[in-house]
Amino acid sequence: MSQRRTKKHGKSFEERDATPDALKVLAAEFPKGGPRQFRRRDFLKAAGFSVGAAFATACSRAPVQRAVPLLTQPEEIVPGRSLFYASTCGGCSAGCGVLAKVRDGRPIKLEGNLEHPVSRGGLCATGQASILGLYDSERLQRPWKDGKVTSWVEADREITAELQTIGRDHGAVRFLSGTVTSPTTLAAIRDFLKGFSDARHVIYEPLSNSAVLDAHQKAHGVRVLPRLRFDRAEVIVSFDADFLGTWISPVEYTADYRAGRNLEAKRVSYHVQLEPRMSVTGSKADQRFAVAPGELGLLLTHLAQRIAHKAGVPFAAGEVDTPSLKVAVLDDLAERLWQARGRSLVVCGTNEVQQQALTNYVNHLLGNYGSTLDLEAPSRQVQGSDRELEMLLGELRSGVVRALFIHGVNPVFDLPGGEELRSTLRKVPLLVSFAQRMDETASVASYVLPEPHYLETWTDGEAVTGVVSLSQPAVHRLGKTRSLLETIAAWSGKLKPAYDIVRESWKANIFPRQKKEPDFEAFWERTLHDGYAEVAAAAIRSQPFAAHSVQPILHAQGLDANSFGLVLYSSVAMLDGRNAYNAWLHELPDPITKVTWDNCVSLAPSAAQRLGISDGDVLRVETTAAAIELPACIQPGQHDQTLAVALGYGSRLSARFANVGPQWIDARLSVGDKGVVGANAAPFLSLRDGGLHYGTAVVRLRRTGKQRQLACTQTHNTLTVPNKLAPKGSGPRPVLEETTLAAYLQDPHSGVEDHAEKEDLWPTDHPYLGPRWGMVIDQNACTGCSSCVIACQVENNIPVVGRDEIRRNREMHWLRIDRYYSETASGQIEVAYEPLMCQQCENAPCETVCPVLATVHSEDGLNQQVYNRCIGTRYCANNCPYKARRFNWFNYAHDDQLQNLVLNPDVAVRSRGVMEKCTFCVQRIQEAKIEAKRRGEKVSDGAVETACQQSCPAHAISFGDLNDPNSQASQMMANPRRYRVLEELNVRPAVGYLTVVRNRAQEGMEGSIEEHHG
Amino acid sequence: MNSPALKPSRTQQYLGSPFVTLVLLVALAFSLMILVPKFNAYSLPGNQRGYEPAQPIAFSHRLHAGELQVQCLYCHSGAEKSRHAGIPAANVCMNCHRFVSAPLGAIRAEDELAKKEKREPERVLSPEIHKLYDALALSDKMQRDPARETKPISWIKVHNLPDFVYFDHRPHVNAGVACQKCHGPVETMERVRQVEDLSMGWCVNCHRSVDKAGLDGNGNFTSAPAPAAQGPAPATRRVYASIDCSTCHY
Amino acid sequence: MAEAAIALRPPLIEGNKSIAQVTHDVCAPMEARPTVLWWAALLVSFSLLVLGAVAIAYQVAVGVGTWGLNRTVGWAFDITNFVFWIGIGHAGTLISAILFLFRQRWRTSVNRAAEAMTIFAVMCAGIFPVIHTGRPWFAYWMFPYPNTRGSLWVNFRSPLVWDFFAISTYFTVSAMFWFVGLLPDLATIRDRATATWRRQLAGVLSLGWNGSYRAWQRYEVVYLMLAGLGTPLVISVHTIVSWDFATAVLPGWHATIFPPYFVAGAIFSGMAMVLTLMIIARRLMHLQQYITLRHIDRMCKLVITTSGIVGLAYGTEFFTALYSGSSYEQFVFLNRALGPLFWGYWTMVGCNVFVPQLLWFRRVRANVPAVFLICVLVNVGMWFERFIIIVTSLSRDFLPANWFHYAPTRVEVATLLGSFGLFFTLFLLFCRFVPVIAVAEVKGVLNIGKPGQEAAHE
Repeated sequence: MSQRRTKKHGKSFEERDATPDALKVLAAEFPKGGPRQFRRRDFLKAAGFSVGAAFATACSRAPVQRAVPLLTQPEEIVPGRSLFYASTCGGCSAGCGVLAKVRDGRPIKLEGNLEHPVSRGGLCATGQASILGLYDSERLQRPWKDGKVTSWVEADREITAELQTIGRDHGAVRFLSGTVTSPTTLAAIRDFLKGFSDARHVIYEPLSNSAVLDAHQKAHGVRVLPRLRFDRAEVIVSFDADFLGTWISPVEYTADYRAGRNLEAKRVSYHVQLEPRMSVTGSKADQRFAVAPGELGLLLTHLAQRIAHKAGVPFAAGEVDTPSLKVAVLDDLAERLWQARGRSLVVCGTNEVQQQALTNYVNHLLGNYGSTLDLEAPSRQVQGSDRELEMLLGELRSGVVRALFIHGVNPVFDLPGGEELRSTLRKVPLLVSFAQRMDETASVASYVLPEPHYLETWTDGEAVTGVVSLSQPAVHRLGKTRSLLETIAAWSGKLKPAYDIVRESWKANIFPRQKKEPDFEAFWERTLHDGYAEVAAAAIRSQPFAAHSVQPILHAQGLDANSFGLVLYSSVAMLDGRNAYNAWLHELPDPITKVTWDNCVSLAPSAAQRLGISDGDVLRVETTAAAIELPACIQPGQHDQTLAVALGYGSRLSARFANVGPQWIDARLSVGDKGVVGANAAPFLSLRDGGLHYGTAVVRLRRTGKQRQLACTQTHNTLTVPNKLAPKGSGPRPVLEETTLAAYLQDPHSGVEDHAEKEDLWPTDHPYLGPRWGMVIDQNACTGCSSCVIACQVENNIPVVGRDEIRRNREMHWLRIDRYYSETASGQIEVAYEPLMCQQCENAPCETVCPVLATVHSEDGLNQQVYNRCIGTRYCANNCPYKARRFNWFNYAHDDQLQNLVLNPDVAVRSRGVMEKCTFCVQRIQEAKIEAKRRGEKVSDGAVETACQQSCPAHAISFGDLNDPNSQASQMMANPRRYRVLEELNVRPAVGYLTVVRNRAQEGMEGSIEEHHG
Repeated sequence: MNSPALKPSRTQQYLGSPFVTLVLLVALAFSLMILVPKFNAYSLPGNQRGYEPAQPIAFSHRLHAGELQVQCLYCHSGAEKSRHAGIPAANVCMNCHRFVSAPLGAIRAEDELAKKEKREPERVLSPEIHKLYDALALSDKMQRDPARETKPISWIKVHNLPDFVYFDHRPHVNAGVACQKCHGPVETMERVRQVEDLSMGWCVNCHRSVDKAGLDGNGNFTSAPAPAAQGPAPATRRVYASIDCSTCHY
Repeated sequence: MAEAAIALRPPLIEGNKSIAQVTHDVCAPMEARPTVLWWAALLVSFSLLVLGAVAIAYQVAVGVGTWGLNRTVGWAFDITNFVFWIGIGHAGTLISAILFLFRQRWRTSVNRAAEAMTIFAVMCAGIFPVIHTGRPWFAYWMFPYPNTRGSLWVNFRSPLVWDFFAISTYFTVSAMFWFVGLLPDLATIRDRATATWRRQLAGVLSLGWNGSYRAWQRYEVVYLMLAGLGTPLVISVHTIVSWDFATAVLPGWHATIFPPYFVAGAIFSGMAMVLTLMIIARRLMHLQQYITLRHIDRMCKLVITTSGIVGLAYGTEFFTALYSGSSYEQFVFLNRALGPLFWGYWTMVGCNVFVPQLLWFRRVRANVPAVFLICVLVNVGMWFERFIIIVTSLSRDFLPANWFHYAPTRVEVATLLGSFGLFFTLFLLFCRFVPVIAVAEVKGVLNIGKPGQEAAHE
């Protein structure tokens, strides 16, 4: 490609020096002959040579660059301009609306769709990272048969033939899939299965919530998940439901939750969390109680009892064990809920039908159905049925199943007894997987018919009844893949592009459900533009609550003194393991533990002390069913007798990361000794009596004596320095400010007192005649979900450095979320988050020390970092009080050409040896400025959205011009809760923070908004 | 104890020794750098001034922009709405060249010949335009030839900037900076040549002078009406060229 | 009277040498074949030098990541070594310039070696600012030169730029000072030389010195002027180096005491190093009668003085931290003494404050091995001083979330060893090819023509 220029080009200088004439000139200037002695002539000769040499350097030739325009250029496409296509995120079944940013024909970034009624502009880390899957070079490009590449025609012919025989002798056909929110796909599968006498569509989720559905089946006769409206709830009680982290639809719930906790709008819900491990949700709770996993049911019963009593309803609860929680606490809880009848919400995250039934009962007694739980327009984000899964597995074992289609799940990996299942699946005559990658299940399938990435094809979704969204391709298919819709169509003999299929089904089914648009074409166009449409919800006839569906849970599952209960949870990054291929998510620090590139056994500090375990000791966790070896991670706030392990790790898809990151003499692998990242905890799951059970098994724990240092981006620090080193009288460092609602209501400034702005020695240094960019982060809203971290990584081409580099504390994330623990008066561990990026200081310490002016202040308040000028002395980073700067220690790999397509062309890829840091997304600022200039306007507020701000589901970040008093940012800056980190250094950051306000009375005892609003 | 006094000639010899030469050379090189910055500018590696590559199609800017007065933005329409001015797609060329297929002279000659030979004049197609048709897989008669593959024309980029420089045409064009200011008198060039050295100093100095004295150098800070100007009248728009690093480097 | 005084004072050079003897004694070892001991020493130091060269090559090729640094600790071994070597460099100028101005005549037999040491030390130091950058091939950007970037100069507010000037000036002046001082002796070598190459080389380098009255007279003037120029540099260089830290915001760096503290430390370590080398040299080259116990004794006194100043500085640091009322400052110093790197801190205090106290005793000062050992320890201590200042402050700064430890890698250690390799290789070559003692000057301090000194000359 980059061939060298031939002589013909770039003539100017050859003529002037290298050519003979030039030499003649030189010769003429320095004549030969004369007596041989040094002096002037030799000197001049040498001089002439050096001059000539200087010229010669001038004709160093750059490689030829070519520009290849389109032959026929569509009108809307302008090289260098981005287009945004509204679509639906395929990261999970929550169905958030996204805008795919397409640049010169390739998607480079996903932005949340602000208008989408479910996600409302936010996007989670998984969603942000899902774009990397599109450019995954290990994604299957064409159909496979028994480990060999085949053609679609071939595969279709063979499969259809096989299906005909099966159909003829009435063999059993099963379609196993995860939750499918796409009405078109569901219909297609249904029609496809109609063709067989014995066919069923079995749905399950590796992170199952089927108990919720079963409980509603029992209680209301409809097997649905009501749409939870946290925004309407004033009192939220969650029994181990991590609804801000990974439970069902975190982005939607986070948006709701934040809406219900908006101090500026005088709305602050009261949130109590009872959970065995420290979850993202728990970290935000106003009151959090660490309870044994086995005790949740008991506590629910106690709560139900109290509520029933208040409601005057008999609740036959016989002899109930006394809970570990103080009675007063439960009474208070019940009282609050009762006070907030119809404005409260109780959720339970466990997959136990009895507990879910109790939860429903409490909600029913509180009259929350119809207000905070919407049964009329229920959510369709959960459809799995563990009972059917169990049946299917039975059938598979008995070998009656002739054909099994697997779509969107990886049972060999994510179900218990995977090994056994592998061999059973091998026996299935026709096993077809639609996996995008050669995962554990696909590798045993007779046919793998890869689906395209969701950004490559047409489909639709109805995550919440009544909100239908379209998912359109943003790029030409990179491989010879085929969507499920097309495949099924092909088998039924009428091969059609997915576009037609979706369109037809919409014309037939969706279009009639709305009245606004009389004409389908218009409706289609509008939906395509918006990405979604609101239509009438299909009528759900639910019966009144059936009280008999509820049985009290009288006893806690006991644990003897030195055994542990195991809790299996899903991490924000890996979920059920679907993201195991994704380097960004492996490198994303867990919001709480801050561990990357591993899952670990987390246990309470007290337990660790008892057993003499410290971080990084490799522990062996055993039950009769399974055993696993993982490094220990001591987790404050966890229940003493609980072990927690994240699911989704140890997938063969992560084997590729062995050598991710720089390779040098001391480099270590990013994978464990099994060659994969982490270890799979699925064997600990148990699928029995119609439910997948996550832990609560009594497990044994022992040290293996091995060590594995965790790649942790932050050691467990509280706000205070170690006691033995704490200077007398020095309080906690003014790093992060918290206060209680009571205190806030008395004085909105509470907590930020010692953050008064200091006088400036150089007040005229930076006049800021134009805009001055600034950012305010509401720590009260921030849930630590880390979607901003990934958003920043995608937007700014931040490299993945691998486990070993993280271990050496060299992560490159421009935006990190500092996690701090603190302890309440009542001894509860609390967590607060501080998203920290470059603070763009006005008196920036980094700027004064850079010898080469590679970091300087811009006229609109940015602390500019000029990569191409940087020589990498690291002086700036040393002098940065926030340590917000990142250094390119190596040349980080960019050799995967396919993956490089995800790079943002508006941001330079940094070379080795230069410093980098948050730029406030200066490329976006520039774009906005230039566009405004083009239209002859000022940059309007909100025209510039940084990647982190855009992606934040809680809308915790506001960004804008601080010189414009009406901008959102300066409004927030004026907020009495605002403070700046390390303000006493007077470096004058352009980033402000708003205090965390816990809904609680001064004395660390609960208290809610009603009390204070007389 | 003193060593015997040496003859002056020997002293001379020592003074003329390589050692002294070396010192003097270093001094010279340094003073060159100091005294002749311009020389420095021309002679630095990476300076592609004068670059004039042959293009796959011998397209003449002199003819199109000079004689025929085709506006720059007609072909390089990107310049006002995108970072890249862009190289026109073949279909833009075809707007004219579906009719104009050869120089007038050639066509006249063919007509003459046809008259002589008593036949319909053939369609004359100049070899360069033939390349264009080839790219679009068109026959001489403008018929799309299904047998052939279309193949994009890969032009050679003349004005190259390093990857860490984000130059954007929009603000310049919309502020009324003449294309020639950076690209030189393209309308007089048969083959496009890089006229300016496109060094950072060259950019920055222009930005500085514009901030001091306006575009035309005599304090006129209101730019010419930009082609795509919505909003307030151009007259109210002040020309302002930032010299912040992040104007071009991010 | 004056003569009597001189007569009373024991001679600076023992074994009442004749002038010819002096020339012979000093030049002999250069003209004779090198001893086995010399070869052995050279072998060791040169192999260290090679090791270091390999390490640096690898680091430049692969990246600074091959060092144990991280996003919290951006400097460690690199800048430690830099400051250490610059410090070593101080004694030379001190002895040659300041002692010269104060007419301390005993300096004559050590100044040559001390200056050489200075130059070599500054060479070693100079390596680190270059290789510690992420892109050493662009390190020259620290130097303000006209360019086509319109023009883009350096950041004159940055201590690193001041460093650049301070060190280059220091190196130039020291080198010049040394070279000028060498001229007469080079001429001597030229005239004694038997081999042609040696005669020609010496001839070129001695710039045609002819020992004429005029030459001597100008020589004296130039030497005096250079001494005058050199003197302020002794103070300025390390003052400016200390600003690298003092002007930063980091607790533990941001201290006004740094300039005097660093200068004292530098002279301290410099003296120690001179002693170390002198003791080696006088053994290697049999110069016991030129570098006498009296020289050692006086330098020991300088060492203990500066040790006192350094000790005071350590104390003052704690006081300022306490008095500042800044919890960050207070924590940093508590952390130095009791934190994870406490052992480093106490090594530093032990070697720099406690050990030198032994030199109060004349018996110790007279015991050459003991002095040697103490000096080596002092240098160890001074290296640790810089390491502690840099690493403890960085690894425990404002935000606890950033706290992280630092541990060196093999590459870093190899680089440190390499710098010692370079230093000693150069010094050994110096011993071999240049008169280690300023012949001409020593002749000046011989008590010739004094009463009771009918020395056999002429």
